[in-house]
Amino acid sequence: MLAKFLDTIRARITRPLQYYQDICVRCGACIDACHFYVASGSPAHIPAYRMMLVKKLLQQPNHGWKGRGILGWYRETGMADERMVTELRQALWECTGCRRCSVFCPFDLDTALMVNVGRYALLQEGMGMEMAAEIGNAEVSKGEIIDALREFYVDQVRELEGRIREEWGVSDLRIPVDEPARVLYVPVVGEHAIIPLAKIFYAAQESWSLSLFTATNHSFFVGDIEKAKQAAHWIVEEARRLGVQVIAYAECGHATRTLLNFWDHWFGDEISGIQRVSVVQLVAAYLKEGRIRVREGAFDGPMTYHDPCNLGRNAGIYEEPRLLIRAVATDFRELTPNRELNWCCGGGGGMIAEPGMLEVRMKAGQPKVEQIQRTGARWVVTTCENCKTQLADLSERYGLGVEVRGVVDLIADALV
Amino acid sequence: MATLAFLFAYITPYMAVVVFFGGLAYRVFRWWRKPPAPAHLSLFPRPQSRLGRLLDALVDMFTLKGLLRVNPLLWAGGFIMHLGLLFVLVGHIRAFTDFYFLWKLLNWGKEQQHAFSAVAGTIAGTLFTIPLFYLLARRWSGAVKWLSVPEDFFVLFLLIGIALTGFHMRLLRTVEIEELHRFFAGLASFRWQPVPKSAGPAFIWHFALVQLLMVYFPFGKLSHTIGSVLSKMVARS
Ligand code: HEM
Ligand code: SF4
Ligand code: SF4
Repeated sequence: MLAKFLDTIRARITRPLQYYQDICVRCGACIDACHFYVASGSPAHIPAYRMMLVKKLLQQPNHGWKGRGILGWYRETGMADERMVTELRQALWECTGCRRCSVFCPFDLDTALMVNVGRYALLQEGMGMEMAAEIGNAEVSKGEIIDALREFYVDQVRELEGRIREEWGVSDLRIPVDEPARVLYVPVVGEHAIIPLAKIFYAAQESWSLSLFTATNHSFFVGDIEKAKQAAHWIVEEARRLGVQVIAYAECGHATRTLLNFWDHWFGDEISGIQRVSVVQLVAAYLKEGRIRVREGAFDGPMTYHDPCNLGRNAGIYEEPRLLIRAVATDFRELTPNRELNWCCGGGGGMIAEPGMLEVRMKAGQPKVEQIQRTGARWVVTTCENCKTQLADLSERYGLGVEVRGVVDLIADALV
Repeated sequence: MATLAFLFAYITPYMAVVVFFGGLAYRVFRWWRKPPAPAHLSLFPRPQSRLGRLLDALVDMFTLKGLLRVNPLLWAGGFIMHLGLLFVLVGHIRAFTDFYFLWKLLNWGKEQQHAFSAVAGTIAGTLFTIPLFYLLARRWSGAVKWLSVPEDFFVLFLLIGIALTGFHMRLLRTVEIEELHRFFAGLASFRWQPVPKSAGPAFIWHFALVQLLMVYFPFGKLSHTIGSVLSKMVARS
């Protein structure tokens, strides 16, 4: 049982994973970190338990086996029985990869890395988020058929451009696609990720181009790093073709993390000389340099900011969103805790793409709901597409009555 | 019984030392053989410079300040236990040699040396032992029981056993330090000397349990002693 799973994991144990498996003292400091465990109370959601499950299975002598013996008892090696498989699926799929547990762990042990590798291994057994994997595949193959899609895409963008010109009453606003420029802006799916930036870039008189691709990378969610690289590589090629100096990713957590932290490893020299930023950093720089101006106090009412795990503790972008919010809000209230100790919204890790996970993520969002309620905020602002969807769903489910916004659309609305 | 005592006194200590150092080398080799981290797995905020990150990891490792922030009770238990352990280890230098330099500096005679050692040793031992019982009790409490495996109990009982046999010698006997010196010098030079009589029957058990600890040490979770800083550097890469 689980032979493919175990072979895949064995082949993918890297140095950090080996440290983690060996040194975890099972002290339980990570228990209270995980919103899944806090909401469900089931052991499979305890961060260290997730690692232990995999470790137990790895220690089985030759996969199928009989008789545990004294060493087996002592090491708590486990049999891959039904119950264990159920727990394993729970442990590996019901994790948002938020790494809050790593902040709690006295060894900074990265459970999410184990989960990421474990997910890929589970997929080899046909157990898991097939939908997210499929979207990941589509993101990879998009690059191969991009020439066929280009014309259709450009038409759509032109239509959008027309609408913004009309709404704003500016006839020279453009949405350049596939043109040489200084900044390559990589959106997420949907015009809500394009409209605010079209306005801001126009106001800042930036030389920019809209990417033909999207920042999201579902292969990363399911731990398929080879495919994650391929999907991202289309953007590298595009950036080089257009000769851009800056790649700016839309408000999207996991993609921004890969852009900032993984691309050096993935692409090395290929991306040398190209600056990589979150669009939030770019817009904050415009504001600081006076390239754009905003109406102070444009949002009059209590507003709070949710640090997306992947922008906050996983990429270190804490100040820029706050700078932007303070520029337009009258009553900014921090969540407690915030920054690297902020609670995950419960919607990350590709779960949004998986309709069957709705109930799981609604439950895992409970700590977030309480946090938001305590602020009394009317607007919840964040900088991640997944978080936005999840927070809006939570607001509806728990009757929070908050409006969820992205930082850049606040700025776009407040431009003068 | 006598045979067993003989083995623990003169034969197994050599094995324990070999297994301890060999095991640690094997452990590090096993880590080193694996492919390196697939990407920067940093947690933020983190210091900018490489040196800053190393210092941050070391400070966190020795103070456990990250744990203090999220779980003060566990921090207290863990930190005091490790601190006591450190003091106890330092104190054991006296079993092999002595703090000649320190005594000279303080200009202390035999009486004062012994009095100081008795007080300091008892405090260190207490700091080490009391938290061990707390850590043991935790193992049955709340969600920690889901995480507890036999190894965890084994380690805690082993350390408690070492501590109690140690206390037996400290509180119920007056150990002649010269006798200890002679015994260990004998082991080191393969010219065996008698087991210290003044330490009483607990000595051989204490000594045997420490050897068991040394043999176990590299192969279980106690490898967190060396793995700790490595793992912390991964999170600051
Ligand atoms: C530089 C060296 C070391 C560091 C940084 C370190 C750090 C830690 C940390 C962070 C924990 C978990 C939290 C806690 O219980 O406080 C822990 C647990 C533990 N450490 Fe260490 N440790 C070190 C050396 C040692 C040594 C040498 C021993 C024993 C010989 C030891 C024995 C233990 C035990 C038994 C636990 C588990 C307590 C439990 O069962 O909950 N440690 N250590
Ligand atoms: S906090 Fe870290 S060392 Fe402690 S149980 Fe959790 S993962 Fe293991
Ligand atoms: S990464 Fe987040 S969701 Fe996953 S185990 Fe850790 S705290 Fe829980």
